Amino acid sequence: MASITSTGTSSRQLAALKLLRRRLIQAVPLMLGVVVINFCLIQLAPGSFLELMTAENQVSDPATVALLRKTYGLEDPVWLQLLKYIWALAHFDFGFSYRQNMPVIDAIWINLPATLLLMVSSITLALAVGVAAGVVASVKVRTFWDSLVSVAAMFFFAAPSFWLGIMLIVLFSVKLGWLPVGGMATIGGGGGVLDILHHLLLPTLALGLFYAAIYARVMRSSMLEVAQLDFVRTARAKGLSRNKVTIAHVLRNALLPVVTILGVQMGTVLAGSVVIESVFSWPGIGSLLFDSVSSRNYPVVLGIMVLGSLVVIAANIAVDLVYMWLDPRIEIR
Amino acid sequence: MARLEFPRLEFVGRFSRNRGALLGACLILVVALAALLAPLFFPADPLRIVGTPELWPGEDPAFPLGTDSLGRDILAMIVHGARATLLIGLCASAVATLIGVTVGAIAGYFGGWVDEVAMRAAELFQTIPNLIFVLTIVVILGSTLTNIVIAIGIVSWTSIARMTRAEFLALRDREFVQACRAMGMGNGRIIVGEILPNALPPVIVLSSLVVAGAILFESAVSFLGLGDPNLASWGRLVGDGRQLIRSSWYICAIPGVAIMLTVLCLNLIGDGLNDALNPKLRDR
Repeated sequence: MASITSTGTSSRQLAALKLLRRRLIQAVPLMLGVVVINFCLIQLAPGSFLELMTAENQVSDPATVALLRKTYGLEDPVWLQLLKYIWALAHFDFGFSYRQNMPVIDAIWINLPATLLLMVSSITLALAVGVAAGVVASVKVRTFWDSLVSVAAMFFFAAPSFWLGIMLIVLFSVKLGWLPVGGMATIGGGGGVLDILHHLLLPTLALGLFYAAIYARVMRSSMLEVAQLDFVRTARAKGLSRNKVTIAHVLRNALLPVVTILGVQMGTVLAGSVVIESVFSWPGIGSLLFDSVSSRNYPVVLGIMVLGSLVVIAANIAVDLVYMWLDPRIEIR
Repeated sequence: MARLEFPRLEFVGRFSRNRGALLGACLILVVALAALLAPLFFPADPLRIVGTPELWPGEDPAFPLGTDSLGRDILAMIVHGARATLLIGLCASAVATLIGVTVGAIAGYFGGWVDEVAMRAAELFQTIPNLIFVLTIVVILGSTLTNIVIAIGIVSWTSIARMTRAEFLALRDREFVQACRAMGMGNGRIIVGEILPNALPPVIVLSSLVVAGAILFESAVSFLGLGDPNLASWGRLVGDGRQLIRSSWYICAIPGVAIMLTVLCLNLIGDGLNDALNPKLRDR
C-alpha cells in the first residue's frame, strides 16, 4: 500500500513538472504579444516618443538628444526597432527613468513587493470570506442566511473599490480612529510586522471584498451542483455524516470553479490594486504607475505593463498547479 | 433565415417574474430618464457655483443633496453625470461586443488554426492587467471620450468572444447550417445571416454585464483624474470630493452610491435575462 502511494506521488510530481514546462513554453508567445502591443502603443503616440520624453525631462542639449535617438534606435526601420525593443526587454532593459534617476526596472522592482503583499492578502481574504459565505449559503439554501449572503454579494460586486475604500476610511479612520488613513507604516515608527498589518487591513478589505462577492456566488452554485452528483449520494449511502460529506467530498470538488476564476482574474486583481494604492497611498506599483502617468513617464508606464503581465502569467501557472493538486484526474492541456 | 425555436412571450414572462430583475430594469429606466432629461431639470451648467460651499444634504431645501466644496449643486451634477456615465458604459460595451462577436464568430465557425490564433489573442488580452492597459492607452493617446470608450472596449471583449465562439461551435454543424451550405451559400452569409441571429441571445445577456463592468472602469479612470476633462462623470465627482472626507464625506459618498446602484441594477437585469434564457439554471 505504501509503495503504491509513493509511486502515485512521484508520478504526480512528474506531471506537475511537465505542466510547468508546458506553461513556461506557452508563456513565451504571450509575453511576445504583450511586448508587440506595447511597441504599437509607442508607435501610435502622437508626436515622436523622443520629443515627448525630452520635453518631459527638459532635455534640450543636442548631444543628449542625439544619444537618446541612438539609444532608442529611432533612425532604424520599424521592424528593426521592434526587434531591438524585444531584445532589450528580454534582457530586462526597460530604459532609464529620469524622474526616479534610476533604471526603470529598479524603480519597478522597489515598488513590486508592496503590491504583491496587497494582492496576496486581498486574494486570501477574498477566498476565505467568499468560500465560507458560499458554503454557508449552500448548506442553508433558501434560508435567511442564504439571502443575506446573496444581498451582501450583490452589494460588494457593484460597489466601486475606490469608493468602498474611501468609505472605509471615513468610518474606521476618521470617525472611529481605529485604523490609519493610508501609507504602509507609521512614519517614524519601527515599521514592524504588526504596524504593516495594521495599515494593510483597510486596503485589503477594499480590494478583496469585490472578489469575495464573486467567489461566494460561484461557490454557492458550485456546491449545490456538486451535492447532486452520484458520488456524494454514494458517500451519504455509506453512512457518512452530512458534515463529513460536505467537507470531505463536496467542498473539495466545488472549489475547482473558484480556482479557475481566480486564475482568470489575476490581471484584474493586479489592476485593481493600482486604484486602491492611490486611495490609500500604498507605496506599490500602482502609486508608481499613477505618478508616471501624471508625469507622462512612458518608459515606466510601459515597463509596468510588461512586468504586470509577467506577474499575471506566473500567478496563473501557480493557480494551474493548485488546480492539479485539487483534482488529480484532470490532465491539463 | 432559419430561426431556432425561441418562445418570446414565455421569455418576457419569466423575466418579469424575477422581482430583482424587474426592480433593476425600473431603476435603470429612472437613471436613463434622468440622463435624457437632465437639460430639462437643470438647464444651467451643472459645474456652475450656485450656493454656499459644503452644505450637507437636507440643510437647504434648494439643494436636496447638498453642495460641494465650491458650492455647486450635487444633485445637478449627479443628474448630468448620469449622461456621461451611461453614454460611456453603453458605447464601450458596444465596442466590446462588436470586437468580441467578430472574433468569436470567425473563431467558432472556421475552427482550426484561425480558432487557435483567436483564442491565444483572447488569452493575451486577459493577461495584460486590464485597468493598467486602459490607463496606458488613455495617457498615451489622450484623455478623450472616444479614446476612453475604445480603451475599455479593447479590454472587455474577451468574454464575449469566448461566449460567441462556444455558440458558433454548437451551431455550425446543425442541419439548418448544413442545408445552407448544400444550397451553396457563402461563409459570410451563413455566419451573419444564419448562425449569428441564433447565437445572439446569450451574447446580449453578457453585453449587459459588460456595460456594468465598463461603468466601473470609467469611474476608476475618472476617479484617478484621467477622464475626459469636459465630462463630469460620477467617478470624477468621487475623486473631486476626496480631499474633504474629514469634514464633508457626503460629497464622495453620493456619487459612489449612484455608481453602485446603477451597476447593481445592470447586474440584476443581466441575471434576470440569464435566468429567463436558461430556466434550468435558475435557483443555482
